[in-house]
Amino acid sequence: MHQFQVYRLGPEIKLGNVDLSFTNSSLFMLISALSICIFLYFGSKKKGIIPSRLQLVAEIFYNFIAKMISDTAGSKAKPYFPFIFTLFMFVLLCNMVGMLPYSFTVTSHIIVTLVMAVFIFIAVTIIGFVKHGLKYLSIFVPKGVPVVLLPLITVIEIISYLSRPVSLSVRLFANMMAGHTMLKVFGSFVISLGLLGGWLPLSFSVALTGLEILVAFLQAYVFAILTCIYLNDALNLHH
Amino acid sequence: MDNKDFKTRLKIAKEKILKNNSNDEDKRGHFMGSAFRLGSELVAAVVVGTIIGFILDNWFDTKPWFIITFFFLGVIAGIVNVIRVANNMQKKD
Repeated sequence: MHQFQVYRLGPEIKLGNVDLSFTNSSLFMLISALSICIFLYFGSKKKGIIPSRLQLVAEIFYNFIAKMISDTAGSKAKPYFPFIFTLFMFVLLCNMVGMLPYSFTVTSHIIVTLVMAVFIFIAVTIIGFVKHGLKYLSIFVPKGVPVVLLPLITVIEIISYLSRPVSLSVRLFANMMAGHTMLKVFGSFVISLGLLGGWLPLSFSVALTGLEILVAFLQAYVFAILTCIYLNDALNLHH
Repeated sequence: MDNKDFKTRLKIAKEKILKNNSNDEDKRGHFMGSAFRLGSELVAAVVVGTIIGFILDNWFDTKPWFIITFFFLGVIAGIVNVIRVANNMQKKD
């Protein structure tokens, strides 16, 4: 489909075998990142006791993430607040910018979400090993398991640990892509059914747009909260 | 408005926030997030298990045995993951 196509903007840039050209995907990542910066810059510029509207929204986002981190990962995870806040805002803005007509949804490509998820996975694993040393491997061995079952359980635990980045990335990518495809399908129904029957799919696509905005927010939330949960496993070892 | 009045009001407001820490709207969002998790958690473990089996088969030239074993181990791991998420949802209730 046309809305999922990645194409080059401007000249081709090659570094060895790696294609580093500026694509429409990079453009929309840049737009999302810049709009976060502008929003937070103007939101935190005045610092009034009685907040302006923009400051209020920025503070709501800040409190939302701060509360989420302390609820799921405890006080030890406070140093990772900047990372999780950035992650949440970036995914949220990418999803929301993708809802605008004629735009490109960055998160509807699995490579984008997979890179973020694999980065989180590796970072969390390193944090776990740094904090606990080789004792971190004990998350693969649950307590109170009979010795006979231990090899089997350990293999299952390793598979479930390795499935984290896959489930994290596939969830975001699949939800975004399915939503946009569904909107496109209902949109084409409107055209093909014409003036007589097109009103029903039209009303559906209005409702679906609302649903998509909810999904865009929820997926960013789930992405951030799962990062917190994984961090919690790495910081507070108690299985 | 003098300073003391402001301080008592701040104290009352803070207590209110602490009391309403987990209101209903908050919970609903959390449960929807967990619901989105359940499906993908199951699928991901199966996919990862199958991929591990495929790689091991290529290493040891034992097609199709590792794929079969690790497919079923992946299914088990997926079910274990789903049970864990569901348990967490119940705990938070």
